[in-house]
Amino acid sequence: MGLTGSGVRETDAPRGARLSQRPGSGRAGGGARRSGAARSRPASGINGVVLLATAPAPETGVAALLPWGEGTVLGRLLSQLADLGVTEIHVITRPYWVDHLRPTLDALPPSESSVELHSSGGTADDLRVVAALARAGHGGMVVAYADIVTHREALAGLLADPRVSSGILSTTRRVVGRPFAFRTRSNRGRVVSAASPYHSVRSPNSTFLGVLKVSSSQRADLAEIADRLTELTTPPLPDSWQEELGVKESTWRLSLSAAELRAARAESGASAESLESLEDEEEESADPDGLELDALETEVEIPDTVTLSPEDEAEVGRWRAAAPQDAASLLVVGLVRSGAHVGVSHLRKLFWARPLSRSAAQQASLEIADYDEDRELLNSAVKANDGFFTTFFVSPYSKYLARWAARRGLTPNQVTAASLCIGLLAAAAFATGGRAGLVAGAVLLQLSFTTDCVDGQLARYTRTFTSLGAWLDSIFDRTKEYAIFAGLAIGASRTGSSVWLLAGCALALQTVRHAIDFSYPAVQHQMLGSARQQPLERPSDSDEKVRPPALATTDAVVPPPAAPLPRRALRVGFSLWRLLDRRRGVRWVKKIIVFPIGERFAVISLTAAVATPRVTFIVLLAWGGAAVCYVAAGRVLRSVSR
Amino acid sequence: MSAAARGTTAIAAPAAAPATPIEVYRDDGPLARALGARLGGSVRLPPWMLLLAGAIPLLAVLAIGGDGAPRLLVAAALAWVIVCGGISSGRPHADRLRWAVPPLLRLVEYASVLWLAALAGQSSHPAAFALLAAVAFRHYDLVYRLRYQGVTPPRWVNLLGGGWDGRLVLGYLLLVTDALPAGFFIAAAVLASAFVGDSIAGWARYHRAQALVVYEDEEDEGH
Repeated sequence: MGLTGSGVRETDAPRGARLSQRPGSGRAGGGARRSGAARSRPASGINGVVLLATAPAPETGVAALLPWGEGTVLGRLLSQLADLGVTEIHVITRPYWVDHLRPTLDALPPSESSVELHSSGGTADDLRVVAALARAGHGGMVVAYADIVTHREALAGLLADPRVSSGILSTTRRVVGRPFAFRTRSNRGRVVSAASPYHSVRSPNSTFLGVLKVSSSQRADLAEIADRLTELTTPPLPDSWQEELGVKESTWRLSLSAAELRAARAESGASAESLESLEDEEEESADPDGLELDALETEVEIPDTVTLSPEDEAEVGRWRAAAPQDAASLLVVGLVRSGAHVGVSHLRKLFWARPLSRSAAQQASLEIADYDEDRELLNSAVKANDGFFTTFFVSPYSKYLARWAARRGLTPNQVTAASLCIGLLAAAAFATGGRAGLVAGAVLLQLSFTTDCVDGQLARYTRTFTSLGAWLDSIFDRTKEYAIFAGLAIGASRTGSSVWLLAGCALALQTVRHAIDFSYPAVQHQMLGSARQQPLERPSDSDEKVRPPALATTDAVVPPPAAPLPRRALRVGFSLWRLLDRRRGVRWVKKIIVFPIGERFAVISLTAAVATPRVTFIVLLAWGGAAVCYVAAGRVLRSVSR
Repeated sequence: MSAAARGTTAIAAPAAAPATPIEVYRDDGPLARALGARLGGSVRLPPWMLLLAGAIPLLAVLAIGGDGAPRLLVAAALAWVIVCGGISSGRPHADRLRWAVPPLLRLVEYASVLWLAALAGQSSHPAAFALLAAVAFRHYDLVYRLRYQGVTPPRWVNLLGGGWDGRLVLGYLLLVTDALPAGFFIAAAVLASAFVGDSIAGWARYHRAQALVVYEDEEDEGH
């Protein structure tokens, strides 16, 4: 489908709408940079951002033009993108909004980015334009809602992170975007199922936040998927799609009425506190196996009618009107169902909203003002899934070291190298064999470990991820650990006891343990990549019919084929095991058992400082051996239960 | 999931690259490959089962015989595990437990090297540690380079490294020719220079390809 042959509206888009190509006239926008860390890295490789200004809003016609300060929501987003170094922006909108949008585009400070307006008659046309744009250019491409309000850094997290070559902005936090934003299920950093107005997700565990990035190599696939979606969204829509949209609306109503009930109960003082703490509990630590059951979306029976307050009724109406205009979520579904690798960039603790009314925009501007972006970023720089010792004894202060390093302009690789040097010094101190040397080694080892945490946090904070840096970090960690083993063994031999065999066993044990940690996820990724996806025209993402009975229509509910009993029992066991994680204490105990690096280094420091290297190795072998058995047994059971 | 299966990454893998990371992680040498090619088709067992069948006698003899085990028994246990492991290299790695294969191979190799050192006497213990450290670098580098560069080491390194099978044969020969600990030290030095040197050369060659390898934070690895 060529650009002209398909009757793409782009060709008859008002030419006057082409704004840009004002050559970079000494841009004053540099002032938009945050003070503090040097963390403005351009969205390298992104060549073309498509913004969908297609959602309606009652006051302004198009939601993208809702007022934001002096300007509009769209204006804010455009300058954020320009600040991120995006040079080519396309705004798709309806013909009757073109003239309204032009002032916002004209009001942009002159910059090197070009903004082009495309007029399109409907979602099918939007998708046609996306396909044409995908075919017309090279490099990474982004498709996003034009009416989202979030931090520049949240966008940067997706656009500028080289590790996510294709992916979506996403969150696992329950309070963000619910209930209206479309849900996804992701597993090990990969979207395995996505929802759209016409597609549903079984057991979702995260939410699509309206930004999709597609890598250079997937651009052609995107064009093809957009073509296919153009066919599918050309009216009349299939009955099953209409029906799915109806289900979405019912779910929203139900969810809002539940929220109203809770609010009413909270007002009467019943359990406001417990509710709030429940929502705080929600963290950005994606469930690695994606087993979170969403009670609301899978289990609750939907009553026929729900009465809502007038405000909520209006809100549902606005989202119901916006849903059929949502080409972005359809593209996500299309990519995922085509088997493409769609990664995930987490919103982390930053703010996100999609206002569809003036009051919602006002609300968003009040809430986003409360965010200390730098602080949230720093907190987010701490790895979500670290061990107990690291989380409670290192990260609380190492993140400030990371910020200090960022301000000094240190690179993560420099910090990594420093960490290795300190680690080798620790090994040398251990090798002296005397008490003083052992104590000094213990202290140096902890120092080295702190530095090691800093490099990762610095990389996340400044988003300077390089594959060499990642390799150095990983390989130096191992080098340090095994150098420490050697140092301890040398020290012991100086005092007349040979522990080389024990040291060798500790090294072997750790290597076996890591081999499990590398191979198991590799197989998981392989299985995710080859998992069968449903065809695009099918609303459900599974063979089973998982619709609540109240809404099931003519087709009978087909029960899933029953798995053999032992396998089912295992699965239930794992669900229960996972449920235990809701208890904070249990979760940490499980993390400590597996003997992560922080615990290992703490054990080495402690035992070496107060006892002998022999004791160190015996503790390492005992705890490490138990950890290997625990991990291996769990994974074997998990593998056979699938 | 090789570079090709990653789909989104545009990093060309060497033509001879094995199909899956698990097969890369195996670190088979020419001997194991030959056994796999010759006998892999006729022994219809999943690789992990073959490895377990090879490892259990080895670990049993190791546990019972310790550093006093008779040489012939050592030779038999090593030969058996090499045959079983070698055959497993020719089997498809498609079952649910295929992730257990690399850890089992590590267990077999590292335990054997330590055992050989124990048999040779205390002076060989540091040499075994040195050899294992060099081999461990190789095993980590196999994983990390595939993850961060999308490539596997060149052929000459794989041949020189000998694979787990080749190193076990070499270790036994060194033991029976009374060449320990010097043999282990020399092997460690040669292997370490080859592995580290190749890795550095690999990074020097690697000009940051625009499409980076997809990887996740080491979330589930208590690294």
